[in-house]
Amino acid sequence: MKKKIVSVIIDVIIWVFLLGFAAIVLVPLVFMFTASFMPSNEIMKMPYPWIPSEFRWQNYWQAIKGNDGKFLFLRSIWNSFLVASITTVGTVFLCSLTGFGLAKYKFKGRNFVFFMILGTLMIPFEAIMIPLYLIVTGMGMQDTYAGMIIPLLMSPFGVFMMRQYLLTFPDEMLDAARIDGASEFGIYWRIVLPNSVPAIATLSILTFRSQWDNLLWPLLIVQSPEKKTIPLFITIFVTEKYTNEGAMMAAAAIASIPMIILFLTLTKYFLAGSEVFAARKD
Amino acid sequence: MEKKKAIWGFIFTIPAIVFFMIFDFYPVINAFWMSFFKKDLLSLKPPKFIGFKNYTYLFTSEAFWNSVKATAIFTLGTFIPMVLVSLVLAALIMTRKRFQKFLQMAYYSPAVLSSVVAAMIWLLMFDPRGLANQFLNFLFSTQGIDYHWLSNENMLRLATIIVYFWKYVGYFTVIFVSGMASIPRSIHEAAIVDGASGWQDFLHITLPLLKPTTLLVSVMSMIQCLKTFSTQYLFVQGGAPRGPIDVITLNIYNTAIRDHQIGRASAMSVILFFVIMFFTYLQFKVSRSEEVTY
Repeated sequence: MKKKIVSVIIDVIIWVFLLGFAAIVLVPLVFMFTASFMPSNEIMKMPYPWIPSEFRWQNYWQAIKGNDGKFLFLRSIWNSFLVASITTVGTVFLCSLTGFGLAKYKFKGRNFVFFMILGTLMIPFEAIMIPLYLIVTGMGMQDTYAGMIIPLLMSPFGVFMMRQYLLTFPDEMLDAARIDGASEFGIYWRIVLPNSVPAIATLSILTFRSQWDNLLWPLLIVQSPEKKTIPLFITIFVTEKYTNEGAMMAAAAIASIPMIILFLTLTKYFLAGSEVFAARKD
Repeated sequence: MEKKKAIWGFIFTIPAIVFFMIFDFYPVINAFWMSFFKKDLLSLKPPKFIGFKNYTYLFTSEAFWNSVKATAIFTLGTFIPMVLVSLVLAALIMTRKRFQKFLQMAYYSPAVLSSVVAAMIWLLMFDPRGLANQFLNFLFSTQGIDYHWLSNENMLRLATIIVYFWKYVGYFTVIFVSGMASIPRSIHEAAIVDGASGWQDFLHITLPLLKPTTLLVSVMSMIQCLKTFSTQYLFVQGGAPRGPIDVITLNIYNTAIRDHQIGRASAMSVILFFVIMFFTYLQFKVSRSEEVTY
């Protein structure tokens, strides 16, 4: 009997801890959304009121319009969307093609190519960003979408992930297609791609959000205001002294909503993304 | 026929080979090369070979050692608590029969935000009148004390650590949960039948079998911390002093882009490269020898 009471108490403590931690983690998110509707003096009131006295949509309007009234935020949302989408499509295509070549064909030097690609996993982007910047500038791609996209079009991790996934792809399906007269690229395009949806979805989400989040590379490459992506716009918006706090949080909310919606609808693939990451130990 | 087929495998990997040559291997070699030259970003003069002078300059430069210190403090202060807390959270989640998914989602949610947005939210919360001070005042039941989150050297460091910890602790919790879930239930059941308590089961079954995941998470989070940039950059842009949080990547960026010293920035890049390379190598080596089979 006593043992049972103790285990109930422990159980309750664990629940309180887990739920309490969840509440603390969510506080900044709640703060962002509530503050995005408040005038500055309410956000900075002590104690923080938590519930906006009125819904100030002007904050959102100011965020969208920008301090100079040029609607550059809309432009930067479009830019982020464009850059992240093209990078994602390119990455999925190139990584799966390479992964397919490495998983299903026995050619001379295959292992060498594989380990070479795996080796680049060890090269941190931050350590090569300066030469990369000089190369891209030398190619005349400074301040262009191409410059933002092309150097990020492939990831060694993507190749590795697609290869591991395709190793278990049934050979019978490939051979059947060959007997039907399909070309090797046709097999990739019509058999392999449509049948790799889970791996492609996971890789797409990993790539899309890392580009949506990317600050460092666009910061180096882009100068003109109308080519800036969301992280760059937000950085400038924060530094402009006359930006009010409510508009800052409104901008944060607008920038986060697409990712939050993706997360809530595709939770499985988000969580799987971290699992795949953990499973890499070849 | 077989041979003709095999050649296609090579053709499919050509784009990757070309890509990684241009955008990975060449930049690495280039960084090494440039680190021996004096080169100004904007000047048209050809770079001048100066041997190891960039390195000797760095090793006697106060700003460089300050960056090393800032990076070391940030990395140790972030990744150790992050690994420990995410391990505990995952272990506790595994004991629950309900809400496992909900808890994982809640913890994971900050990782969905972009780092710039995360830093911006916290900048407001660390304001003298912000939530962070209110929380500490509530905790210590004091009145209106300002803890100088963004102006005191150590508090500023702590502030960046909190932002990063908050953003990624759930991410690593999810990895630990999937690691724990892959341990066959029969092993746990056998331990319980043998009379092990939940705590003993965790200590003697879960922890040893989880070692590969723990190692991986430790090295991964550590490397991530070594490369941190966005939080520090945004805090400095938002008006915080740069010194205490001038991590190595921020220093590389400013040296190259603001001071136009490409050679010096390259030398720092090379040092960062070797440090990270060392830890990655360690990870590969250790995880090889710690393979677990059930």
